[in-house]
Amino acid sequence: MSLVIKNLYARVKDGATILNGVSLEIPKGEVHAIMGPNGSGKSTLSKVLCGHPDYEVISGTAELDGQDLFAMSVDERSRAGLFLAFQYPVEVPGVSNANFMRAALQARLPKGEELDAVSFYKTMRSTMAQLGMDTKFTARAVNEGFSGGEKKRNDVLQMMMLEPTYAILDETDSGLDVDALRIVSDGVNAMRAPFRSFMIITHYKRLLDYIRPDVVHVLYKGKIVRTAGYELVEQIEENGFDFLKTEA
Amino acid sequence: MSMEEAFALAEAEAKLKAALNECQARFDKAKMPDRRNEDWRFGRPHVYAKQLVDTITARDNHNYFERMVICDKGNAATRLTRDDDDLLQTEMLMQTIGSDALLKRHIERFEDGYSLYIEEDTTEVIELVYETRSFCSPSTFIMVAPGVKAEVHIIYSCLEIGNIFAACNIQVAAGAELKVRVQAESDGSDGRCMIITNIQNMGGKVMHLTEYRGLRWAREETVAELYSPGSETKLFSANRLVGDSVLDQHTRQIHHVGGASSDLLYKNVVDDNATAIFAGNIYVAPGAHNTDAYQSNRNMLLSEKATVHSLPGLEILADKVRCSHGSASAPMDDEQLFYLCSRGISRRDAQLLVADGFLADVLNKFHGESQSS
Repeated sequence: MSLVIKNLYARVKDGATILNGVSLEIPKGEVHAIMGPNGSGKSTLSKVLCGHPDYEVISGTAELDGQDLFAMSVDERSRAGLFLAFQYPVEVPGVSNANFMRAALQARLPKGEELDAVSFYKTMRSTMAQLGMDTKFTARAVNEGFSGGEKKRNDVLQMMMLEPTYAILDETDSGLDVDALRIVSDGVNAMRAPFRSFMIITHYKRLLDYIRPDVVHVLYKGKIVRTAGYELVEQIEENGFDFLKTEA
Repeated sequence: MSMEEAFALAEAEAKLKAALNECQARFDKAKMPDRRNEDWRFGRPHVYAKQLVDTITARDNHNYFERMVICDKGNAATRLTRDDDDLLQTEMLMQTIGSDALLKRHIERFEDGYSLYIEEDTTEVIELVYETRSFCSPSTFIMVAPGVKAEVHIIYSCLEIGNIFAACNIQVAAGAELKVRVQAESDGSDGRCMIITNIQNMGGKVMHLTEYRGLRWAREETVAELYSPGSETKLFSANRLVGDSVLDQHTRQIHHVGGASSDLLYKNVVDDNATAIFAGNIYVAPGAHNTDAYQSNRNMLLSEKATVHSLPGLEILADKVRCSHGSASAPMDDEQLFYLCSRGISRRDAQLLVADGFLADVLNKFHGESQSS
């Protein structure tokens, strides 16, 4: 059981091709890091997998536990177990965090079954406490007026509430101070399980020091150009991406 | 009963029946108001209100005063309901439908509506309910005494094919605070409603919210007049239009004197083939310096066939003022929809969440942020 991406080509709708044959397999239970210079296609990969309407798949496949990911709508992919923590979480004025989470959890229940409000709020509050978030955020509109770090924490809160089987974290470390980074990483580490895998997109070693990846991939010009263990992170930290460019 | 008497009675009954049939025929032919009927394009609510009050208060009989509901501490929570089924016949007598006829109708049947004199703070909301399955044309008159705080909830309920043409006149004295929530709704597919409102603020604070639900056609004419420095009037409206419904809103904020403030925020979510029309105007009289007046109309379109006409306007005849007006109509933000859908919420439910959120901004401002959750 795994997330399998084969020879994926994708482009911005009516625009440039960004992904040029990405192939990748993330088995359950593993944490994979995706690194690469700016503009290499990391965020595009995450958005294409989640079905962002600005991108279109040219060719290639992606399967989630054997299911054709590209045949599913955005919400179906989420309910099938895929989660994306956004690089820039979106503000949704007027929709409270609590209502948003309730709707997301309700969508996962069989038709006719109602979410138990009491246990929902209990879980939400305890998860917020785990992430060091003030409970007043339950009533606040989704990400509206949040600082960069608060938005990232809010995305991780959603991930912890929705308990996906495949989670993509797109530069979740950007905008987080040292303490917040540790808290968020602790949250992610607490979710590591044999039935769950993570794709962590980052530029920096510091996040991967907290969330130790099993496999590290380097994406360059829309293609995976190298796959190795944690030692690749140290190599990149020391020498940057220049040496990889010559290999590509 | 003698034979002659029996004949006379039968003849009278036949005449009455014929008269009623004639009325019914006129009623059937009467043109219902719609957005293409120019008789209904330009209302004069402030003129109606003045004439209405002048006429009523000058009456020889004292029905108006006798029927007035005095709201004080002992009569705080009030739910007054009027089911107005018996008005069809009077309505049939209207040869033409138009603003003047409407005014006449209100003067004739002023007692059909409620008159409130709120002389002490009320701890609970005063609820006025007008229901009709035919025609109802109530005039509501609310006067708030100096320094008094109150909240009134007016519900106009068009049951089945019911139509309501209502007038509401509000007078708020210095230092008073009044919140008025007006809810016009229909449980059928053909409910129509027109509400003419005049708010005269003599130095108090007024918050006025209108909500239209399930009506096929609704017209609002709201005029807020500010008569004293320090007067503060806020107008709100939040609506979700579906099907072929039309909401036609005309507003005017009139600053007679300087040092007063008015603010308007009207928001609509427009779906299907629905149409939202907004024509607003801020008028600042000569010499009304230090006026603060704002007006904002925002529309969210959920369908390619939805239509919005928005005409905000300013008419400023004083030099030292802060006034602004704005209008924006746009489809729902795709990024917001994607974000919600990426958490497993269906596109339709996500649209409803975002639409509710769009309108919640207005409701929160009216009710207070505490209701946001």
